Amino acid sequence: MNLTLEIQSSIITNYKNNAFYISNTYYTYEDLAQTISNIRHAIKKNTKKTECFVGLITNDDIYTYASIIALWMEGKAYVPLNPDFPEDRNLAVIKQADIVTVLDSSSKKVFNNLNSIMTENLNDSDIDLNPTEISNEDFAYIFFTSGTTGTPKGVPITFGNLSGFMEAQWALDYIITENDRCLQMFELTFDLSVVSYLAPILKGACIYTIPKEEIKYSYIFELMEDHELTYSLMVPSILHYLRPYFDEINCPSMKFSLFCGEALPLDVTEEWSKCIPNATIANVYGPTECTIYCMDYTYKRNDENKTHNGVLTIGKDMINTSTIIVDDDDNEVETGKEGELCLSGIQLTPGYWRNEEKNKQVFFNKHYKGKETRFYRTGDLCYADKDGDVLYLGRVDFQAKIQGFRVELSEIEFHVKASLNKINTVAVAFTNDIQNTEIGLVIESEPIDTKELIQKLNEKLPKYMIPTQIKFISSFPLNSNGKTDRNKLTKLFTE
Amino acid sequence: METLTIKETISGVLESTLEHTNFEMHDELTAKDVDGWDSLSHMIIITKIEKAFNIKFKLRDLNKLKNMGSLVSVIQSKI
Repeated sequence: MNLTLEIQSSIITNYKNNAFYISNTYYTYEDLAQTISNIRHAIKKNTKKTECFVGLITNDDIYTYASIIALWMEGKAYVPLNPDFPEDRNLAVIKQADIVTVLDSSSKKVFNNLNSIMTENLNDSDIDLNPTEISNEDFAYIFFTSGTTGTPKGVPITFGNLSGFMEAQWALDYIITENDRCLQMFELTFDLSVVSYLAPILKGACIYTIPKEEIKYSYIFELMEDHELTYSLMVPSILHYLRPYFDEINCPSMKFSLFCGEALPLDVTEEWSKCIPNATIANVYGPTECTIYCMDYTYKRNDENKTHNGVLTIGKDMINTSTIIVDDDDNEVETGKEGELCLSGIQLTPGYWRNEEKNKQVFFNKHYKGKETRFYRTGDLCYADKDGDVLYLGRVDFQAKIQGFRVELSEIEFHVKASLNKINTVAVAFTNDIQNTEIGLVIESEPIDTKELIQKLNEKLPKYMIPTQIKFISSFPLNSNGKTDRNKLTKLFTE
Repeated sequence: METLTIKETISGVLESTLEHTNFEMHDELTAKDVDGWDSLSHMIIITKIEKAFNIKFKLRDLNKLKNMGSLVSVIQSKI
């Protein structure tokens, strides 16, 4: 598929349809086409042909989304820069990606020392949606994720990667048409945002965004009810926030409800299914390195669903990805045995940006099905059952070693949740004053008596897996990707 | 309940949650104006307010709480 040509054709076909609903305002595909053309004209005038990566200030407005399409039509990649992130972090990204130009829709420039193209008040130019010729190796975006050494790690994704993803997405049969109303809840520095705007644009559907100042979960609920959303991709944390209000939610219009980015517990999913009685619910999985997501499981209503420690399976690989589960020496493990999940296929990034050391650590070649294949180590501990469904056990690095024993933190969480009816909880491993690893438990509630809980845990778990400290917090902090911020929770025990 | 009493109670909740009193209680006051009132502390504040007035907000109420004035009137409608 040729992505930019398909975007062009969808925009033109759906000219009179609504493309976006942002802060109580609708924008048609015609408005989008005009805005893209205006920005494209400014890009042509103000950047060099050789500039590959252009910074994008991630505001929530039509100019910012149009900027992405305009850059792609010009064969350039975008690098999202969140104006609310610490300046040092943004500057590190700008330096790594050699960014000279930034597209900025703010009323006041975010970066004074860069070539800022202010996209908000440009004059109308002729509509120009003919994309320049783009090869599969050209970059579409780079997303920077936190690196263990403190410097952000760049994951470049090519147009070939992205086309491969879209092809696999359509093959899932979670159908979007020009009549659909789709949720886009993600900050643009998180790659789940890409499918949330791109899939609807390719079908002429309408995209509903969350204004930055709104409380995400309650705003999502209002969009779902008031605008009868039909398609949504969310992180499971949103469900944990909505759970106390599930009895107020009834959205029969929802057709597809996808989850990604975190473990999806079966019990919450079951309760959620009653709020969206007509929807297909799916658990999709994948790291940024393999373009958005690459594995999929469709939840079965009124039937058995596979779980491990209460977490729903991530199912099977999508059509453009092959998965294997390996031991420390890159050898495939037997069915049912745990190991690290590795991914290959056309969605796989060419490698971290200018980080050969890291590339050597996580990418490897292996003879697979008759040919030399490049694989990526996800850092996710999994096993596959006899049907080939993959069950997620936790991060390789969430795995703590306590007194020499391997401890799976998700297992502790599972037993705590089973004991405390419906209360959310996170187990963390932290290093204490004497540099030993201890297990801390954070419970999302007002302080409660935990004597009985500990007693029950002692019945289920070996001594070394019993949390040594317990903290209460009335709601879990989220990181900028909307996931439970485990680092912050860990700090409760170390600061 | 008197608006003034309601505001005093809210003010107490803010003070105990945020551990400062650098805000003035007027109807146009929003979370943005108050140091430390972010999406996380918001949840805590809402829960404490529910407790203090022995009320329960509906999911739909949460989006209406745009400023102090609307918070007070939503509380008034529930007690």
